[in-house]
Amino acid sequence: MKPSQSRLQKTNNRCAATFSLVLSVLFTASQGLRAQAPESLPAPVPADDRSDGDASPSSPSSDGSKAAESGGSTFLGRDVPFFNPGNEIVSWDGKHWNINNNRIFQARFEKYLNAPEETQKEDTKYRDILAQILNLLAPHSISPGDIDRAFQMLPAAAAYEQDARLCDSLADAVYSAWAAQRNQRRLEAANAALEQEMRRLEWNAQIAGRGQSFARPRDEGSAAEWDRAQAQEQEMKMKPYVRRQTEIMALMVQNKAKQELSEVQAKIEFQALLIQLFLQRRFQHVLIGTRFYRYIFGDGDTKLKLGGDAKRFFDSSIGIPPTVGVLDSLANEAVRDVREGVQAFEYLLDKAELESATKRLAETFIIGEFLPEIRTLPREKKRQALVFSQKANQLISAIEVKDYALAEKLVTELEIIAKDFDNSKALAAVETARTVSTMHIAKARNAAVSGDRATLEAELKAATEIWPRNPALAEFTTKIFDQTDLQQQALSDLERLISQKNYRQIFEDRLRFIAAVALYPERQNQLQEILEMMQKIEAAMIRADEIARRGDYAGAWESAELAFKEFPDDAKLNQLRATLTTKAASFVESLSRARELEERDQLGSSLAWYLRAQRFYPPSQFAREGVERLVHKILPGV
Amino acid sequence: MPRRASTPTHPVHIVIVFLLVVGAIVGGWFVAARVGDPYRTIPSLDVTAYLENANSLRGSTFKVRGGISNQLSWSPDGRRLYSIEIDDNSPNDGTLVPLLVPEQFKRVNIQKGQTYYFEVEVIEGGMLQTKNLTKA
Repeated sequence: MKPSQSRLQKTNNRCAATFSLVLSVLFTASQGLRAQAPESLPAPVPADDRSDGDASPSSPSSDGSKAAESGGSTFLGRDVPFFNPGNEIVSWDGKHWNINNNRIFQARFEKYLNAPEETQKEDTKYRDILAQILNLLAPHSISPGDIDRAFQMLPAAAAYEQDARLCDSLADAVYSAWAAQRNQRRLEAANAALEQEMRRLEWNAQIAGRGQSFARPRDEGSAAEWDRAQAQEQEMKMKPYVRRQTEIMALMVQNKAKQELSEVQAKIEFQALLIQLFLQRRFQHVLIGTRFYRYIFGDGDTKLKLGGDAKRFFDSSIGIPPTVGVLDSLANEAVRDVREGVQAFEYLLDKAELESATKRLAETFIIGEFLPEIRTLPREKKRQALVFSQKANQLISAIEVKDYALAEKLVTELEIIAKDFDNSKALAAVETARTVSTMHIAKARNAAVSGDRATLEAELKAATEIWPRNPALAEFTTKIFDQTDLQQQALSDLERLISQKNYRQIFEDRLRFIAAVALYPERQNQLQEILEMMQKIEAAMIRADEIARRGDYAGAWESAELAFKEFPDDAKLNQLRATLTTKAASFVESLSRARELEERDQLGSSLAWYLRAQRFYPPSQFAREGVERLVHKILPGV
Repeated sequence: MPRRASTPTHPVHIVIVFLLVVGAIVGGWFVAARVGDPYRTIPSLDVTAYLENANSLRGSTFKVRGGISNQLSWSPDGRRLYSIEIDDNSPNDGTLVPLLVPEQFKRVNIQKGQTYYFEVEVIEGGMLQTKNLTKA
């Protein structure tokens, strides 16, 4: 691989890493989690305990790792969030989001799009202060005086609301580091004094250990005694010096440990703040912090003291050991990327390519929410993206809830306002839903016509699942419901009329009842019997009317009477019968008297009346039957 | 020779003769009628009462003059049932009543349209049963 290609690939990887890291932060913030970097960082430990050079043995981190292994809640959840720029999907904790379709992100983004641009005097002043601080801390021209001036400007920047007191936090970190360093210098001075004392004691011990000037006895026995006495005397003289040396050695070791601990603790606190600022996407503050850090800790050790998930988070994201320099470069990259993103947004907006413009702005907003390029973007331009964003979100929601009519309307609107809007997926969804839903509705309609209730329900359910708010479905179901209401009402009326034996009313409303009982075979049979009966009555009445029209009232009465005997409850037939009774009074009276006497077994009188009735109306069936019946009684066996 | 003037008929005599002639005619008709009714001693059937409640007349004998309207039935043993139309110059003229002719008259040829004098008895069921009959 050529060096240029390698550099390009590294740059791309770094951009992706920055984006991924920043997105993680957004979701962390969205979920209401505070940046937890300090908790995952190693706690200060004695230098001797860091022999492996890794800060991971710190207890909180270890706990976190154990929690992670056991599936408990760890830094940023069980998994580190990961953003795939290829499909705009963020994966976190086993869940996946499209960054363009996240409720919290949408809310935050829309809030930004509605907010006015931050170009007020106060905003400008604040940004100027930050720019001055960054200029003072620029690596190529930094001096102790610049450091002091930059430090003095931090409280001024922190006074602005938009800073959220982060510059105060930076100032505190810088001050703490300086305090730690002063403490280190005091410990160094103390150790120097102890060293000097040590050397003095060694000298004193040497002097004390030298022999006496008195001559050694020549006598061997006395000489041995003299040697023992000398040795005991030397030991007694040297003992305080040796004890003091031991004590000083212990103090020096202790001071050395304190010195190293103080330095590590100061670094860790500073790094924690830097990571926190990075995760909060306060890239200007990250740049300020990293430049202070390099100046304060000039030992060249910029490696971030991370452990556990936080270490893996950075390792897996950027692929290299995290350092303050990496944070610095990532922050610079983010600033550049945001600047480029805003430029792309404005260009796409000019070309009326709102879909791309909105996506670029959303991506840029995720990274550089607090950067000047984003904060100073005019609201007028943002509103255009907002309109598109709102409609696009509406479209997504409409398709999610299968409101394809609304989706189709939104697609049309989006096509008008955004030249680059890709309608293919949305329209494909709409057309597919329309086709399948229409097919199910057609099947449901056929089932309704044929009275197949089970198929009707199944097809309606299928159509509803595909397109719940399909206008055609709504229209069809409304008809079904209306018909069902009418049907239920008709069935209720039918029941009532049957119980009242008001078959006449049933006959007159027969069309309504026929439709109502279409799906109820038992009631169909019942209604059919009633209608057949009523047809007989109607036929008899028509026949009676015809006979009466010829002036044969007796014949008309008899026709009505025949029907009446079979259907005595029909009011209309009763009325006709009553009318004809008055018109054929003699005939009716003859028959009536004949029946009455027949019942009283007065055969002669009864037969006389039947004969009289027969004279009135010779074709009379009643009279003929009466005569035949009585003749049979009078002359049985004939 | 002078004719002797004829004596004119006195009008009284004419009236008397007229009355005698009329009396003779009415009397002759009356006598003839009385002589034609063979059951003139038997009371006529009260058709109105019969139509109202024949059972009340059961066991009684009446005379009936009527024309044969229709033969309603007959039995192999010779009993016949007719409907006769009352014809006795009463308000019930034209009224049809049933009449049972027992087997003893089976040799009598009774035809529709013939008029008879019937001596009838009201039997069980209020039926009129012929006891005697004479062609009018």
